[in-house]
Amino acid sequence: MKVKMKMPDLGTTVDEITVVNWLVEVGQEVKRGQALLEVETDKATMEVESFVSGTLEEICVPVNGVTTTGSVIAVIAVTDV
Amino acid sequence: MGTDTIKKYEKEFLLGLYERMFLIREFEEQVKFLFLEGVMPGTIHQCQGQEATAVGVCTALNNDDFITSTHRPHGHALAKGVSPESMLIELFGGVTGCCKGKGGSMHIGDVDKGMLPAIAIVGGGIPLATGMGLAFKMKKTPQVVATFFGDGATSEGAFHEGINMAAIWDLPVVFVCENNFYGASTHVNKVTRLKCIADRAAGYGIRGETVDGNDVLAVYEAAQTAVQECRDGKGPVLLELETYRITGHSRRDACQYQPKEERERWKNNEPIGAFGRVLVTRDDVDEGDLEAIRSQVEQTVVSAIKVGRSAPEPTVADLLTDVYA
Repeated sequence: MKVKMKMPDLGTTVDEITVVNWLVEVGQEVKRGQALLEVETDKATMEVESFVSGTLEEICVPVNGVTTTGSVIAVIAVTDV
Repeated sequence: MGTDTIKKYEKEFLLGLYERMFLIREFEEQVKFLFLEGVMPGTIHQCQGQEATAVGVCTALNNDDFITSTHRPHGHALAKGVSPESMLIELFGGVTGCCKGKGGSMHIGDVDKGMLPAIAIVGGGIPLATGMGLAFKMKKTPQVVATFFGDGATSEGAFHEGINMAAIWDLPVVFVCENNFYGASTHVNKVTRLKCIADRAAGYGIRGETVDGNDVLAVYEAAQTAVQECRDGKGPVLLELETYRITGHSRRDACQYQPKEERERWKNNEPIGAFGRVLVTRDDVDEGDLEAIRSQVEQTVVSAIKVGRSAPEPTVADLLTDVYA
């Protein structure tokens, strides 16, 4: 099953969230709770954790790309469902 | 927690503690991502890393003993026997939830299981526990109430009034301070000069004790002694359980006030892993037993989520039922 991972609500006061760095490459396995990427909001720089365990199939927002809460940021193929 | 201590108990009892702690962890982890995905409404305060305090204390209580809880109540509820299904329905706002969908995360509870719906005001459960202790004493029942609160609550007025009244009347209340070292983002050192919160007990003339709150058996044994003292009419006890929250204060908290080194140190000593490592030193427990428990618990939580997601919401006709103010 493929899971479209959306940018969680990080409690920002503005809409824009900038991707600073991807910590996992396409094709790599990720575990639920593992940090996938770093983002910068108007409040802080923070890590975003994967919601599921599986293989990172697609990165939807590149480094320095700007996204918003609820937008798809990655596609993860879930292994054990 | 030594290998000698672990040999004192029955295997089933110990595996039960492991299962209860893992249920709390898995429940919290699943719920965390439901919130992050935006599937679940409201906000949450979670207790990953603090499972041993809830399980150790509640295991020392009888079914008809009571607890009061805080804004971080999921672990306490699961440890006291509230069903994961009724809690997940509640979190999704379903009418068949443990508070009929009107309590949500921060007021979760089930009086039939001996848990007052949680009180989210810091320190708010303490005077209520004292009141319950007074009721038990006046009714001459052998019941005990354990009231959970955090380190921050011990500098609140409600703590002073509640604990002092329980002390002067020898009420059967175990005051359980889960000291996770941070009141939201503020370190405990910034709000009290005491090195040890249990020392506050001296100011009320009662017994206080500091316990490794990540050692489920140490918590259980300390709680058992405290509960017995309460049942014997010797009055309240203050237990300080030192533990650590390895997740944010609330769902949006990235924990940047927790030094990375400190956080890693506590993560390496989180209670479930630590207990598992000692459990397998017994001849009759192996990693396979623990793995079987974990996968069974995962299934329980996954099925409970399915039920929660499809539970019916309260209707307009329910609006004024079970509401007292």
